[in-house]
Amino acid sequence: MSRVITQEVARGLYKATRTAHVDADVAASFKVGDAIQARNVNPTGHTRLPRYIRGKQGVVAADHGIFQFADSLAHGGGKQPQHLYSVKFTAQELWGADAPAQDSLYIDLWDDYLEKMA
Amino acid sequence: MTSDDEVALRVRALESLLLEKGLVEAPAIDEIIDLFENRLGPQNGARVVARAWSDPAFKDRLLSNPTDAIVELGFEAVQGEDMVVVENTAAVHNIVVCTLCSCFPWATMGLPPVWYKSAPYRARAASDPRGVLVEFGTNIAAEAEVRVWDSNAELRYMVLPERPAGTDGMSEDELMALVTRDSMIGVTRALDVGGEVAP
Repeated sequence: MSRVITQEVARGLYKATRTAHVDADVAASFKVGDAIQARNVNPTGHTRLPRYIRGKQGVVAADHGIFQFADSLAHGGGKQPQHLYSVKFTAQELWGADAPAQDSLYIDLWDDYLEKMA
Repeated sequence: MTSDDEVALRVRALESLLLEKGLVEAPAIDEIIDLFENRLGPQNGARVVARAWSDPAFKDRLLSNPTDAIVELGFEAVQGEDMVVVENTAAVHNIVVCTLCSCFPWATMGLPPVWYKSAPYRARAASDPRGVLVEFGTNIAAEAEVRVWDSNAELRYMVLPERPAGTDGMSEDELMALVTRDSMIGVTRALDVGGEVAP
């Protein structure tokens, strides 16, 4: 028998208790300013690495700290806490030479999505 | 029958069923409606923006430690646990999209509008933000920089719109009325002093 949703249960659903931030001691593979390339991978299940970013080159703009990894959580692989970075890609890198030279896109990418530029 | 009527009928039928089967108690439904009508919504974000426009020390805290600065004003709820606030200026215009789904900062902005979740917005805000901005009536100078923020992961984003010209003497409450949901997504500017959408 499922639990009846009372007013108290409803209140609890919207409390700020779902941070994905994890207090863990995990080394960062990258630092702000590092040039990176997003891995060109094609997982069959859930991922937060969109296709338009895969294989593209960017620069680490900020380190948000350590977060649970959405991909592994979705696949029953646990939290696999790791650094989550804000990574800057130029509009021209993503969309070609016709895009305005000064425009850019920032996206949050986990350590496992990234590789260092040679 | 309009589609709104159909939705209302379907919701009423679902509500009756859930109540009759004893799965949900009526006060729980009232609680959730009250939450999204009165407690979570862009009026919270507008308060945050108006405070930042009025209080430079708060603005500094909001940009450097947004989650805590927002909690300071009492806005603490699910989908607001890890916030990023980006500031629009004459030189930089920020616009937020969730290309993968519909992630949105509920604590400060409530639920996302339908267009925000649509495939065309999610695709085009990323690939052609200036084109999307023009469709929202927002013209960005050619020499200004456009930054798109894809909230694909665990952070939730809010834009701090530029304070409109001619608002120097306005109180925080008066300023609040100029801050729209769309201006905090970054698809428009804040309203001008006349209450119109500024191009």
